[in-house]
This record gives sequence, C-alpha cells and structure tokens, in this order.
Amino acid sequence: MIGWDSWKKGFDVWENATAKYLEAWMRSPLVLGPGGALLTAAMRSKTAVDGAMDSWWSAVGLPTRRDQERALHALNQMQSRLIDLEETLAEIRAQQKQQAATKA
Amino acid sequence: MTDAAKGERRWRNLLGMVKRPKPVVGATPADVVHRENKWSLLRYRARPEGVAFATPVLLVPSLINRHYVLDLQPGRSIAEALVARGHDVFIVDWGTPGPEDRHLSFDAITDGYLGRAIRVAAQHGGRGKTHVLGYCLGGTLAVVHAAVRPEHIASLTVLAAPVSFHDEGLLSLWTRSSTFDLGAMIDATGNVPWQLMQGAFQMLRPTLPLSKAAHVIDRAWDDEFLDGFFALEAWGNDNVSFPGEAYRRYIEGLYRADGLMKETFTLSGRPVLLRNIECPTLAVTFAHDNIVPEESAAPLIERISSTDKQRVHLPGGHVGAVISRKALATLWPTISAWWAAHDAEPQAKVEPKVEPEAKVEPKVEPKAKAKAKAKPERANAKAR
Repeated sequence: MIGWDSWKKGFDVWENATAKYLEAWMRSPLVLGPGGALLTAAMRSKTAVDGAMDSWWSAVGLPTRRDQERALHALNQMQSRLIDLEETLAEIRAQQKQQAATKA
Repeated sequence: MTDAAKGERRWRNLLGMVKRPKPVVGATPADVVHRENKWSLLRYRARPEGVAFATPVLLVPSLINRHYVLDLQPGRSIAEALVARGHDVFIVDWGTPGPEDRHLSFDAITDGYLGRAIRVAAQHGGRGKTHVLGYCLGGTLAVVHAAVRPEHIASLTVLAAPVSFHDEGLLSLWTRSSTFDLGAMIDATGNVPWQLMQGAFQMLRPTLPLSKAAHVIDRAWDDEFLDGFFALEAWGNDNVSFPGEAYRRYIEGLYRADGLMKETFTLSGRPVLLRNIECPTLAVTFAHDNIVPEESAAPLIERISSTDKQRVHLPGGHVGAVISRKALATLWPTISAWWAAHDAEPQAKVEPKVEPEAKVEPKVEPKAKAKAKAKPERANAKAR
C-alpha cells in the first residue's frame, strides 16, 4: 500500500506537469496550423471521391445519397410546419373558448 | 476499511472488471410528451405526493451529449433529486441526427425545437411559463432563445454555458485557425462526427486517459466509486454527431465572430442581444472547467438587463462539479431553492394539452441484446 501510494503521488505530479506542457504545445500555431491543413486536405479528398461517385450514380438516372438526404430533410421540415399549424389552431380554439366564456 | 481489506477488494474488483454488469443509466421514470424529427421531450413522473410548484422546470442538455447525464444513476440523478423536491421536470432528448439532418439549421434547433419544448413544458404549469436550465451548449442555446423569445421563460439557469468565444482555450484557437476549413469538413462529413469532436475534447487534457486509469486502480476498492465511474464513462462514450449546417453557424457565428459579445448573431433573422434578457437569471461557472473556461461563461451576467441575476462560481470541472454527490448535496438544492423563490402562486392549473405519446418504464435490456449492441443500458431510451 505504501509503495502504491508513493507511486500514485509521483504519478500525479508527473501527470500534472506533462499535461500542462502538452496543453501549451497543443495550443501552439506549430501544431494547430499543420493539424488544420491535414484535416482540410483529408476532407477535400473525401468530398472529391463522394462527388465522383455521385456523378456516376446520377449519370445512370438514380437519386444520389444527397438527393435522398434533401428529400428526407424536406419531409422533416413539413412535419415541423404541421406541428406549428396544430399549435396555432390550438391557440385560436383556446381564444375562441375564452371569448365565448366572457360573452356568456 | 483497513488497508489490507482495501487491497484485497481492489484486486478482486480489478480482476472482475470485465464481468462487471453494465451500469443502468437514465432510469428515472419518464413519459414522452412530444416527439419531432429525432428529438423528444420527456417529462419525469411526479413524486407520489404530487408537484409542489406552479412552474415546471425544463432541462436542456448539450446537443452533442446524451441527456441522461442529468439522470445518470439511481441515487446519483439530478432529475430524480429535483422530482423528489417537488418539481415538475422536463428534459430535452436531442436524439441521434440522421444523415439528412446535415441540413438542419441552428435556427431550426434553437428557435423551432427548443421553442416548442419550452412552450409544451410551459403549458403544463399554472403560469404559462417554465424555468429553463441549460447545461454547456444547451445553456448557450437557452441564452440565445431567451434573448429573442422570452415569452414563456420564467427564469434562466445556465451551467457552464459559453457566451464569449474569443478566449485562449484550445477549442477557440483551433476553430479560429486559418488552416481549418470548416466548409470542407461539413461538405465531406455532413454531420460533424462525434469521434472528431471527442478527439478534440481529449486534446484539452491529453494525459486524461492515463490519469483516469491510475485513479481507477487507486479507488478500485470502492464499489460505489466504480459504479459512478463506469456510468460516467458509458455516458462519455455515447455521444452524438453535430448536425452540419447547425455546426457551421455555431462555429462561424459564435466561435469565429463571437456574435453574442459583438451583438452580430441572429436567430431566425432577429438580432440576439444579451441585454434583452430580463428574466431572473442564475449562471454557474466552474473553476477547473477546461471545456468552458470561466472567462467564456462569466460575461453573461454582466451583459444581461435582468435586475435579479446571480453568478455562482464553484470549484470543480465541467462534468464532475455538476453530477457529483457533492453537487447533489449542495449545488442542486441551491438551484431548487432559487426556483422555489421564483415560483408563482399556483393559478388555475392548465391541464396538459399534449397527452403522453409513450410511457417510459425503467427497464434493463436483455443481456444478449445489450452485448450485441455494446452500448450502455439506458432504461428510458430502450423502453422507448
């Protein structure tokens, strides 16, 4: 137990010092700049490959993955608009009830 | 417990770790009262003696984390504790965005979905208003919404919610780095993969996995600690991707342009001005939060016009300080008391217009299915 406790104390000191060093290093433009460039290059490559696949797919008259996503998104938007209308109708009904009660 | 007994228990627990049952998370009984696209609004079932306050409470978690961080485990659940104190508690479960949600805009989420959640929760109370509590990004969404549409908000409570984005933190520097092409990333991935975001969070403390491992070995004798640790790890590894268009607006409008501080951000075409927030507001910041540093969350209280506003600064980190046993004993009773002080006299109780769509019973997934899915057992989500 004493051995473990001593090791743990030493580890905590090392971890704290290393974390501070690494955190400062990660924030350095020397890391952020190349990191961002690498990620961007990978993403542009993926977009180019996806675009080529989509072109081939749509050339034979089939809907691409993007087409399907757009259609599904439009359906989701319609669902939200319908719920908006339901809410508006419920409000109008409540107002009408209130007006009728006031008149009575 | 003696040192020898601790040592023996430690080794027994470490050796049995593989066979340790998966933690049951999100087990407080709740009903789904609204469902739209992938998100749903849950209402926790009231305590047997009923609700004690006229104003319900709506919890808004971050978009990229599961909601059950606020309902982690029985006996360690914020939702459970608030229900026990007599609050009528609602929570937004953002769900998992599908590939088509890459087109989902920040306005649709913050104005449309969050607005709906607030209205549904508000109509269940006696005031037509609800207390709104936002945690992390959920707090930012709540702040943006409250600045533009305050009608149904009785009070605003934000925990570690960033509003000022031009700090010297890694995330802020990374998103403003000239070589990081946001458009290229969203064009390629659609929704921003959670793995990418989790990687970025891990860069905030690169030694964290090692530190966690050493801490687990150190405390392996404590079964209660292990249960909490594994529940939290289950949550921490169960993230969701960020809808692409919403992410683009979030990074460009908030991180890069610092739109809330510079008053350039808009919601559905209306300017988001923090000075328009006049409702009672409580902001909680944490001293050791490396995800949302104090300087990122603290300016809210200075900028808003509310006369009734308060900032509480506590020790602890982004997650631990919110869900720890200490937080359950101190932070949450304080927040509950603050809500109680801002509660109104119950008026004619408005009957819920929206019937529960589904009842959610605590249920543990069958073992075989759970193994196949290799996911934490979320009682509510599985029952749904």
